[in-house]
Amino acid sequence: MQKSIALGADHDINTDLLRPLCETGIGWYSIATISGLVLLAAVGAFGYQLYRGIGVWGLNRPVMWAFDITNFVFWIGISHAGTLISAILRVTGAEWRRPVTRCAEAITVFALLIGAMFPIVHLGRPWLFYWVAPLPNGRGLWPNYRSPLVWDFFAINTYLLGSIIYLYIPLIPDLALVRDRSKGLKRKIYGMLSLGWWGTQRQWQRLEKAVQVMAVIIIPVAVSVHTIVSWDFAMAIQPMWHSTMFGPYFVAGAIFSGIAALILAMAVLRKVLHLERYLKPVHFNNLGLLLLTMSLIWFYFTFAEYLTTWYGNEPAEKVIFQQKVSGPFSPMFWTMVTLCFVIPVVVLGFKRSRTIKGTVIASAGIVVGMWLERFLIIVPTLSHPRMPFNWGSYRPTWVEVTLLTGTFGYFVLLYCLFVKVFPIVAVWEYKEGLATRPAEVKAAAAHGD
Amino acid sequence: MSNKVFVMFKKPGEARGALDDLGRMDFAKSAITVGSEEPLEGFEQCGASGKPTRIGLFATAGGLVGAAAALLLTVTTSRHMGLVTGGMPIVAPWPFGIIVFELTALGAIAFTLGRMIFEAGLMSPVPRALQKAPGVEASVVLEIECPTEARATAAARACQARGGLVTGSAES
Repeated sequence: MQKSIALGADHDINTDLLRPLCETGIGWYSIATISGLVLLAAVGAFGYQLYRGIGVWGLNRPVMWAFDITNFVFWIGISHAGTLISAILRVTGAEWRRPVTRCAEAITVFALLIGAMFPIVHLGRPWLFYWVAPLPNGRGLWPNYRSPLVWDFFAINTYLLGSIIYLYIPLIPDLALVRDRSKGLKRKIYGMLSLGWWGTQRQWQRLEKAVQVMAVIIIPVAVSVHTIVSWDFAMAIQPMWHSTMFGPYFVAGAIFSGIAALILAMAVLRKVLHLERYLKPVHFNNLGLLLLTMSLIWFYFTFAEYLTTWYGNEPAEKVIFQQKVSGPFSPMFWTMVTLCFVIPVVVLGFKRSRTIKGTVIASAGIVVGMWLERFLIIVPTLSHPRMPFNWGSYRPTWVEVTLLTGTFGYFVLLYCLFVKVFPIVAVWEYKEGLATRPAEVKAAAAHGD
Repeated sequence: MSNKVFVMFKKPGEARGALDDLGRMDFAKSAITVGSEEPLEGFEQCGASGKPTRIGLFATAGGLVGAAAALLLTVTTSRHMGLVTGGMPIVAPWPFGIIVFELTALGAIAFTLGRMIFEAGLMSPVPRALQKAPGVEASVVLEIECPTEARATAAARACQARGGLVTGSAES
């Protein structure tokens, strides 16, 4: 009886999860159009910047980095949602991960693409972007391996390539599934992408082994990436940057903002693609608990960092501390604390409010709060260097604000395109999980599935 | 000379039943290749491969290759750099450690992918007899190698009795 129920659901699962590839609803068109327009506005702003030069930004002496580096750190942080979370859940054998992993892995790839774009946007002459590559004696220049920016190049590219491969390997069986249901050119393209997969037991064993090995390798890579991003700041002898705990502080913040982004993405996918049967309240509850844990860890790091500065009373650091806590940056600082700690703890701390709506509200706040956190790390320190005669201020221009908004449009558009081309829930992983969970099969039967 | 029978099943349960029946009819597991849309629990080692995987070993080897490449890149570059350092060491071990770490991981990842493709026999076309025509709902495909034509007929009947659709047969 139980077996027949499980098998009967097979066809429904394929139909449900492959539907977004064949049918396009009004929700998808609306989101894709809005995000496309936002991206278009950013492309226009970038074109204006290319034409007029980087002076159209609000950068000045001494604030030479501001929105662009904030965006860089923020998006690299968001990228920790996917591959790292997915790898941890795979390694620990968390069964509930199955519908979540691909949503998460796709976030990593897109967020990394966007984050890695910012050093190029910042170049002023972005068409010379390939000069960034540390080629030995390329163009008469030798790479300086002591520069944290060179470390970034290696770390981000390793993580990007690793994440693409980690996304691709578990996608192969689903690509074959789509291939078998397609005709003509579409069948040929999916046939090529699925590499001739037809699901022999040998292929399944090798695939699962490769995913396991990849998961183990990718976790330290993910941790290294944001640690190295933090060292861009920590290696400089700047007040409130030169901290030994910046590495773990950044990694914790990255995982924190990443989980929030994942919850938001899942909520939108659930609604727009009608994936209510797959992305269930239990997934939001579990991710909400993870988010709560990360909120507490983030607060612990923040408190430790600020307490040490306050207690040390070193003049150059104290100035920046006061700028943040009670000076011109204080509205942003306290908004950050409210969004990243107060609201998440209140909303996610109680089972009653740890619903889909509750986790989405907390996550939206965290994403905003974590962007503010990145901004507050960078700008107050740069605007108040050690020598007071050199103090300055910073105000973003419309170009920077449009570029920032455009990154969100770009991210959403990439995600929209991804769900039209690839199944956003791993079909085979989901079915495999069902086969090993008789209780869930019973529940599915009770719902008429 | 042996005969091959190709059968498609809509449901994994039907295929499982047919495989049990074939087992009772003394068909060796190695004579049956199973292709499925999801991993079939309890049917490991069916088909061509009982060999242990070497993906982990190749990942380690890839890591070593990546590390060697990183050392070569960083040390060689630094030693050839025409930079006056005032007696300071030109090769800085700590930053090099970071680059070595990243390229070690990259090597391991690349070798894992390559070995997986090789061991899984990917990048080769799906046998025509096993290709599903568009619109055909089949979640499991069996390729049964039979020593005689009589055995092939018996296998085909056993599969049909379980709801399988015999899509072809061939002599090999």
